[in-house]
Amino acid sequence: MINQIKQLLENFGDFCLFIGRTLKACVCGSWDRFELLRILYLVGVCSLPIILATALFAGAIVATQVGSYVTKYRAYEVVGWGFGFGTFRELGPLLIGLMFSGRVGAHHAAELGTMKVTEQIDALRALAIDPIEYLVVPRLVAMVVMMTLLNIIGDFCALVGGMVTSYVLVGVDPYVFWNSFCEYVKLGDFLNGCAKAGCFGVCIAFVSCYMGMSVQGGAPAVGRAVNNSVVFSAVGIFAMDYGVTWLWN
Amino acid sequence: MIQFCDVCKKFGEQTVLDHVSLTVFDGQVLFIVGKSGAGKSVLVKHLIGLLQPDTGQIFFDGDEITHWKEKDFYPLRLKCAMVFQHSTLFDSMSLIENVALPLRKHRHLSHQESLKQALEKLALLGMESYADQLPAMIGDGMRKRVAIARALMLEPNYVIFDEPTTGLDPLSAEQVDQLIRRLSDELKVTSLVVSHDLRSIFTVSDRIVMLYEGKIHFDGTPEQFAACEDPVIYQFVRALPDGPMV
Repeated sequence: MINQIKQLLENFGDFCLFIGRTLKACVCGSWDRFELLRILYLVGVCSLPIILATALFAGAIVATQVGSYVTKYRAYEVVGWGFGFGTFRELGPLLIGLMFSGRVGAHHAAELGTMKVTEQIDALRALAIDPIEYLVVPRLVAMVVMMTLLNIIGDFCALVGGMVTSYVLVGVDPYVFWNSFCEYVKLGDFLNGCAKAGCFGVCIAFVSCYMGMSVQGGAPAVGRAVNNSVVFSAVGIFAMDYGVTWLWN
Repeated sequence: MIQFCDVCKKFGEQTVLDHVSLTVFDGQVLFIVGKSGAGKSVLVKHLIGLLQPDTGQIFFDGDEITHWKEKDFYPLRLKCAMVFQHSTLFDSMSLIENVALPLRKHRHLSHQESLKQALEKLALLGMESYADQLPAMIGDGMRKRVAIARALMLEPNYVIFDEPTTGLDPLSAEQVDQLIRRLSDELKVTSLVVSHDLRSIFTVSDRIVMLYEGKIHFDGTPEQFAACEDPVIYQFVRALPDGPMV
């Protein structure tokens, strides 16, 4: 038990040092333009279809849930607000964050872990290239930027999904939906979601890169790193969600 | 000149290097031999700071590098390249991008110029027609040649080869051997070669050092090594299954 606690504290300390080194490299190091563009493409463009699908269904789900009460109480004028508030502030960033963690975070944990066990990280060091500067910084920047952008795109995709579902299933006129949305949903709701998305990006980037870079052993260790990356990213996302909500309010 | 003075290294309870002292002179092709797990790769990794000794001192061109921090090693690593046992090409890059990477990062050449120079280096090793392929698409021997091209891009004074001919076909192995010899004869590059390959050892080396049970068991010329009657060396040179080495 004591050994486990000691190990946990050691890992946490190591993680904090990793964050410190990465932030220092972000500020003091030179960014590799090619690696950054490659990762931005991988993280952003390649994630777009799955994020759009997630957002579309998230919008449809919220609209369906809200719709049953709207029909019951004939409160058609609040359907846009109910949808926008729930999706922009909470459901959008949360679902996109979890999808992003599963797709992008796991991918990078596996990639970096494999690079570690096949000595590619040592090869970078042997070429006098700082692995944190070359591998982790572009991933951190790309994940924060793309998570925020994907959340914005996802928000509008969810809006379309919600509007169409409300019309088809609940019979809410899209004009009424849009008016309600514009009238009651504030810019702050949208920005709140964006801030959460950015924070989730930071969390996923640090967790997945740390899990990948700290792999020791062979293929089973890479598998464990991917598993830990998804689990701890999810925990981090919920903790960040609570933190941002608490701070924002 | 490179000097290891009384270097010790343990992994857990296992002593891998036990008071190893060794001087490598400029321009030499030094082969470090020994059975698997003898600590050959561990020894050479100390030289570029991939590992740090528990005790002892290491000198590189007169500077003591034993306790250097990671960033301090960067200028040294530009002068001393390493070719790893498993090639370690970056999977996400094409072969030409792998070779161009050191130029792009350290010579600050434009992307096009670095690719042009990388292609020239690949052509020297007969790999130019594979330039745009990914490492996973070519064989081990080709990967090793590309890894050598990448290591030589910055024209280092010292090159560490970790088992450069292991897993290669005889023709590729011969080409790698010739390259190591040419680097020393024509460019005065100092080579530290970790190897088991008896054919390479006797055709390329200027000097042989044998590690056994964490210590230097032999240090001499290939002729002395071949003629040595020591039971461990006798067994190694003749690849005998029975003997003191288990």
